[in-house]
Amino acid sequence: MSLDRAKPLLLPLALMLAFELWARLTHLQSDSLAPPSAILAALATALADLSIPVATRDTLFAAFAGLAIGSAIGLALGIAFGISRPLDRLMEVTVEAIRPIPSIALLPIALIALGFGYRMEIVIVAFACVWPMLIMTRSAVRSIEPRLMEVSRALRLSAPQRIAKIVIPAALPRIFVAFRLSAGIALIVAVTVEIAINPIGLGAGIMLAQQALRADLMLAYLVWIGAIGYALNMLLIAAQRRLFGRAALAGDNP
Amino acid sequence: MLAGLVLGMSAGLTAPALGQAKIQIGCTATSDCASAMVAVDEGIFKKHGLQVEMTPIAINSNIPAAILSNSIQVGGPTSTVFLQAVDGGLDLVAIAGASVMNPTSNTAIAAFVRNGITIKDPKDFIGKKVGAPGLNAFLHVLFVKWLVEKGVDPRSVNFVEVTFPTMADIIKSGGVDAVLTAEPFVTRMSNAGLGSVGARYGAELGRTDPIIFYAASRDWAEKNVATVKKFREAVAEAAAIVNSDREKASASIARFTKQPLDLVKATPPNQSEPNLKPQNLSWWIEVMSSQKMLQSKLDTAKLVLN
Repeated sequence: MSLDRAKPLLLPLALMLAFELWARLTHLQSDSLAPPSAILAALATALADLSIPVATRDTLFAAFAGLAIGSAIGLALGIAFGISRPLDRLMEVTVEAIRPIPSIALLPIALIALGFGYRMEIVIVAFACVWPMLIMTRSAVRSIEPRLMEVSRALRLSAPQRIAKIVIPAALPRIFVAFRLSAGIALIVAVTVEIAINPIGLGAGIMLAQQALRADLMLAYLVWIGAIGYALNMLLIAAQRRLFGRAALAGDNP
Repeated sequence: MLAGLVLGMSAGLTAPALGQAKIQIGCTATSDCASAMVAVDEGIFKKHGLQVEMTPIAINSNIPAAILSNSIQVGGPTSTVFLQAVDGGLDLVAIAGASVMNPTSNTAIAAFVRNGITIKDPKDFIGKKVGAPGLNAFLHVLFVKWLVEKGVDPRSVNFVEVTFPTMADIIKSGGVDAVLTAEPFVTRMSNAGLGSVGARYGAELGRTDPIIFYAASRDWAEKNVATVKKFREAVAEAAAIVNSDREKASASIARFTKQPLDLVKATPPNQSEPNLKPQNLSWWIEVMSSQKMLQSKLDTAKLVLN
């Protein structure tokens, strides 16, 4: 069992070892590559001097705040559009005109309007997170078993009651998949905003390390971001299993 | 919806930002803002009654927008970035000088050519792929000016963007034929045997014009006349240290840029020159206009605060 578990690690470990050997044998001189041993040493130092923990706090705070705001807006609009066909048709052109705008393209405007810091990053992350939530919630609400809606009418439930008692519970597993998707997007967008403009967080750490010609530290940040992304996904999958059982993962390959 | 989100968040969160008395100075990770770095580290700003914090900015061309958003009150844009921003309608004003070209910094500038390519004459650059750290940025504009002076049409050279940290690897892989660079990269690449210096175009131009200067929004500068005066005095005091005390300057530069101290010490910092006169910008305006980088006619008198 333990050997089975270790198997997936063999390839990355072998690759890292090969890279380490190659770097040592060729006396690697590069401003953008560093041997794994140097990367791990830089990671340990940056964790110890708190520069990575502080940057992680900044990135995750912006990512989660943006995710929360974006998901709430996406969820509300998705439910409204899913329930009301006329509203969906009315908003279709507007939504489809705004949705394709890459969130990063908003950076220049966001910088002038909001300045550096959490605000700008949160707004851009929220913008990116609205769309997967909106579209998947809308389709989840539409695919609710029609009989459930008939029942709600027979019971003469009011609109808010119908949403709270029928729509959200029936659509929740798929909404959670949308949330997982948005969480991944939130982290990517947050780090990208930091790399491009915002002087806080892990992305800014990568840029500063690169400009300081510290390839080892730059790659250490990269490894750390990968680890955070992995941990975040694992956390969400665990939450999904716990909340909805294995049935929620049908057709989903985590 | 987005506008609502933006407005809502700005209304909720701008109040504390407006109350701050601390001046944020935004600079890129180079030695050009060394006078501000030294003034922070040596307590010179504090002595003049200023509370200053320095913010590292990844890309120089982001500085004008950062100033306008009041994220930083003072920034260190390059002359080209500043003039293009003002030409584009942003109301910025230079408040003090930071770094100027001098024989030492000019010699540090070079077009570094990869192995297998020989440059004997400026005309040899025709048809070559040349990497510049930023298109229409400082080194690129200088190189184009040099080509024109040597009678080479810059359009016959193929320019691409290559950032400083990736230069050595791209030259090594043959991705470009030459890069426009400066110390410490020239020495590092020469020592690694990746190629040779093709042209010392900085030294051949031999200019003494500003590289980077401190700029602010006109609105902020006019409302904070006393602060600007103190800032100028502090920067002038620190500039003298930068130019005379390599140890102190290197320590401050290494602290701000996070570059290893040995690497910083290996290269002399660009000369600090706190005084900036309107006429110091006329050469840049002339060069940039001839390269069609400016649309309007800029009045130098309005570009520098009295």
